[in-house]
Amino acid sequence: MKITILILFFLPALLNGEWIEPFTRTAEGLPVPYSDYKPVFPRDHGSHRGYGIEWWYWVGHLTEKGGEEKFGFQSTVFRLAGDPQEARKPAFGNFGNRQLYMAHTALSDLNGEKYLHRDRILREGWQASASDRTLSLKVGGIEAVMLDGGTGHRLKCGFLGDDLLELELVPKKPLVRFGDNGLSRKGNGRSSVSWYWSYTRLQAKGKLRYEGKEVEVSGSAWMDHEISSSQLGDDLEGWDWTCIQLADDTEVKAYRLRRKDGRSDPWSAVYWIDEHGKTERVYGNNFSWIVERTWTSPSTGLKYPTTVRIEAIRPDRGKVVYRLSPIIENQEFIGKIKSNAYWEGACRVSDDQGRTVGKAYLELAGYAGDLGARLN
Amino acid sequence: MVRTTFRHWRASIGQYLLLIAIVAVGVGAFNGIRQASRAASANFGLFNEAVSGRSDFIIESPSQRISEDTLSALGSLASYPDWHLVPVVEGSITALDEKGEPTGQLRLVGLDLLSLANLPYVAKRPIEFAEEESTWHEWLGSEKDVWLGRGTANKLNAKKGQRISILASGRVKEIFVRKILDDRDLSVSDDLVIADISTAQGLLSRKGEINRVEVVLERAELREDTEYLNGIGNRISSLLPEGLSVGPTKNRAVDRAAMTAAFRLNLTVLSLIAVLVGGYLILQALDAAVVRKREETAILRSLGVNGRILFLTGILEAVAIGILGSLAGILVGHFLAFGAVGMFAETVNALYFATSIEAISLTWKDCATGLLLGFLFSLVAGWLPARDAMQTPPAQILSKGDWSPGFLWLRNPRFGLSLIVFGALALLLPTLSIQGGSRMPIGGFLAAGAWILGSALLSGQILVCLAKFCHGFCQSPVSRLATSRLMDGSSRHRLAVAGLVVAVGMVTGMFQMVDSFRSTIQEWFDVRFQAELYVSERGVTGAGSVNGIDPALLDELLLDKSIDYADVMYVCHAKAAQGITLLAGVDFDAWTGFVRQIWLKPPGTIRPSSGAEPALVSEAFARRFDVLEGGTVELDTPKGPKLVSPIGIFSDYGNEFGTAAIAIDSWKEWTGADRPINASLYLADGSELEETKQRLRLSYPGLDVRNARELRDVALGIFEQTFKATSALNAIGLAVAFVGLLLGLFSIFDESASTWSTLRHLGFSPVQFVLSAGFEGAGIAVASLAGGTLSGLAMGWLLIFVVNVQSFGWTLLWKVPLADFLIFGLLMVLVGFLSGCLSAIHWSRRKT
Repeated sequence: MKITILILFFLPALLNGEWIEPFTRTAEGLPVPYSDYKPVFPRDHGSHRGYGIEWWYWVGHLTEKGGEEKFGFQSTVFRLAGDPQEARKPAFGNFGNRQLYMAHTALSDLNGEKYLHRDRILREGWQASASDRTLSLKVGGIEAVMLDGGTGHRLKCGFLGDDLLELELVPKKPLVRFGDNGLSRKGNGRSSVSWYWSYTRLQAKGKLRYEGKEVEVSGSAWMDHEISSSQLGDDLEGWDWTCIQLADDTEVKAYRLRRKDGRSDPWSAVYWIDEHGKTERVYGNNFSWIVERTWTSPSTGLKYPTTVRIEAIRPDRGKVVYRLSPIIENQEFIGKIKSNAYWEGACRVSDDQGRTVGKAYLELAGYAGDLGARLN
Repeated sequence: MVRTTFRHWRASIGQYLLLIAIVAVGVGAFNGIRQASRAASANFGLFNEAVSGRSDFIIESPSQRISEDTLSALGSLASYPDWHLVPVVEGSITALDEKGEPTGQLRLVGLDLLSLANLPYVAKRPIEFAEEESTWHEWLGSEKDVWLGRGTANKLNAKKGQRISILASGRVKEIFVRKILDDRDLSVSDDLVIADISTAQGLLSRKGEINRVEVVLERAELREDTEYLNGIGNRISSLLPEGLSVGPTKNRAVDRAAMTAAFRLNLTVLSLIAVLVGGYLILQALDAAVVRKREETAILRSLGVNGRILFLTGILEAVAIGILGSLAGILVGHFLAFGAVGMFAETVNALYFATSIEAISLTWKDCATGLLLGFLFSLVAGWLPARDAMQTPPAQILSKGDWSPGFLWLRNPRFGLSLIVFGALALLLPTLSIQGGSRMPIGGFLAAGAWILGSALLSGQILVCLAKFCHGFCQSPVSRLATSRLMDGSSRHRLAVAGLVVAVGMVTGMFQMVDSFRSTIQEWFDVRFQAELYVSERGVTGAGSVNGIDPALLDELLLDKSIDYADVMYVCHAKAAQGITLLAGVDFDAWTGFVRQIWLKPPGTIRPSSGAEPALVSEAFARRFDVLEGGTVELDTPKGPKLVSPIGIFSDYGNEFGTAAIAIDSWKEWTGADRPINASLYLADGSELEETKQRLRLSYPGLDVRNARELRDVALGIFEQTFKATSALNAIGLAVAFVGLLLGLFSIFDESASTWSTLRHLGFSPVQFVLSAGFEGAGIAVASLAGGTLSGLAMGWLLIFVVNVQSFGWTLLWKVPLADFLIFGLLMVLVGFLSGCLSAIHWSRRKT
């Protein structure tokens, strides 16, 4: 009887992507992001210590000033909270146990067809910290702070051999808050919601020291900041995700939440961001994510669907098609934990006529193992 | 020739196997000691490497302690992807049994268990610290959770989930066994306890402090690339905060090897003596064989066989024994190393630094050295009998009576006297500086060798003189026969005496050194340790465990109303240009006032240099850094280089690296540390010593509270430990020498065959023959004892006044243990007598 009631309760939501009231706390006692939250910046660029999972994510395409070299980059800092009762308390000492951080950094040399990446897992303390007052991250070679004046970020990522990427990232559009009532939903679980904020177009400018040579670079970047306590629903095993910056100064964010049975979750979504930062979205039953080609990693043997076609009904324009193909194939991020391997890389975007219409970053996660179990 | 050589092997295979075994033991002793001392003392001493893998660089402060403020300053260095920084805190803890009694010392190593996952070594073979990944926050930084290897768990009889009481930094604490790491690839030593760094800091009462930061390169494939390593080293060095230095981890092994260089050199010299004595045995045995084959050799000579051929057969035999024995010796040495390594590791732990036993490795160099050593010694040992065989006269001449070749060099005292003079001149040689600031008394060793050999060569004269002296008092035919044979002083008699003199000289010399050391330390204790009670960390002994007492705990203890004054001592390592030394913080007023010392130069007799910190230095320090007459020594401290200048020199037998004691305030300022190592308590008038001791023990179960006598027992225990290897080698040397005597006597009786047969015809009974042989053996023993004691006294003098002073900077009081000498002498004469009797009985049976 109870099951019937639950199905009846969730059925409309599953079919239409409608509202499910989230719990206030997860089973472990972590707070769950709540609706209609009004973030205050720069404070909310900082860490939300009490929440279970949080990440700051930058990707972008860069070009050497006055040169031909093209690069893609990715910098992600993850934060995982420890004991729910302790996590919200302030950081202490050099070897804390309230927060755990991970840093993932990658550089794609698109002309040279090289992919550099590295990761670190660190506890809060002398090697990893994140301010809860503003954007101020220092985790395993990634440093990010607000630029003077409070608009934009300074991002620094180190690579092996003293290579270094230093960028100033200035938003071209206002911050976008995704989801309904300020909550982005990732599955049916009542706690599977997040605060999901993005700068969808950042002007990037800075310098890159690469293979012993320092060059000035510029380009366009994307930044996500997501906070939750239960990132994926129980029945999900991973996601395919992309952020597209179109040549017409609009952006698209699309993701397919993959269920363990191989089907796409209805909470998969496509968002369109117009020139002014206004968003429109459709959920899973209104778009399709079609795999056109896969690439098998020679290192891990994992098969990634790296070339995909996204077909969607855009509410204001009707059917649109975006074909994403990797600029270089091998952009597989193999971390220290092999079962966390994922593919994250720079892609070109073309329309159904084959014309290049933009650039994208594509993320294919959960192919090495059940990511849902880890992010729950 | 080969057939002639080895024909006898088939007939007396047992005897030749014994010879091979003797070479094997000699080579084995040398090789085994070499391997064991290497495994025990030359490791990196980085106990965390079982878990984190071997590092490439070490960032450390001169005091081996880094504050967490300094660590925070290293945060930016940690952000470089080319390397991983691994902070380590370590210390000694002692497990307690159910009754609260210490059961064994353990090494607690604290690491950041989470960031270990970043290390390439760990990434390849992840360590599961918990069954559930998500529980990290439960055990990371917990108060008590520790991980044990299977060996430690077995040693403590501990199981997962068990709580164990421990002593740490003077406090009783509890650990919780979170998991036993059973991974077969994880070679965790059986005294290692692993904890999260924060947990270890708490258990050791050392919050906010680490010992060092290890640097592990991300690109493991480049860790042997010198250019790359230099580049990384320079980059790290340029980013370090003041007071820290970085150096390749490999240097640490070199430094540690340098610290124990003198110790290992002494062991090598002792083990070479074992080879020497083994060579002597070979000589005796081959010589006995030559004598036994005398008739056959004489017939061959009569048949026209060239003397050179006979010589070559003898050499071939010796070489075969040498090679076979060496090959066996290499194996024996390897197994011996397993037996000896624990003993050496204990000594290194007690005297030098914390160490664990590295895997005993048998290298090609070991094999080659062993083979060469056995080959050369056998060749030298075989040369004399081969020469003897070559000189054997034809059968017609031999049949006319006993024949024995004359070794002129054994009869001529000039050789022996020349060696004695050479030895004396060698003493004029300066010492040789070896790595780590140690000095090798090259002249002393040369003199020791020359004098022992010289006295061995002269011992034949002693034998003859003594026999002549005794002959006048002998009335019975048995004793007259024995003394007259000794008076003749045949080469074989002289050879037997010479071998024994070497062994006796060595043994009696060591007797003196050990006894002098013991007496000196006892006297030092009587003068130096005048306080009523001594407080130190309980269960922790040895130089490798400079843990210190929790300062808050000692402050609390010192509030006890029974204590009138406490002489609190602080100690840490300090680095000088010549090597590691110790920097102590002491109550300077008390040390220059009422605290008693054996002063070589009392405070005030040396003027301190201006601009330098006045220091009271130990004799070892003064000699090592050449400041016996004053001057300055620059020491690296966490606060940069500092100068100390001696104002007085005291005797100290605690370490050979030297100690410079400065005022406590300066020590704390220089080192940034505040952990005392011990305290001497002077009680207030009217306080009951025993009652106070018991009360303090009950109140502070984590501290050792001892009176002077108990402290002396502990110190002497450590002292005895250090001489275990010496005693073992002494015993081997002596045993081999007695076997040599027995073999020598066989040859002597073999050679006198016609004499015995004549005597038998004249009515000499078997009992008289055996008795006469016994007296002959005893006579050889007495002569060896006389010669050996004289050379032993010279050895004792050399060891105490030359070798010890030059090597370790210790002046010892020379004590001759007369009672030991007497017992040893009686035993020797008895063994000599019995050897004579036994060889006579054996010889008679063989001949009948």
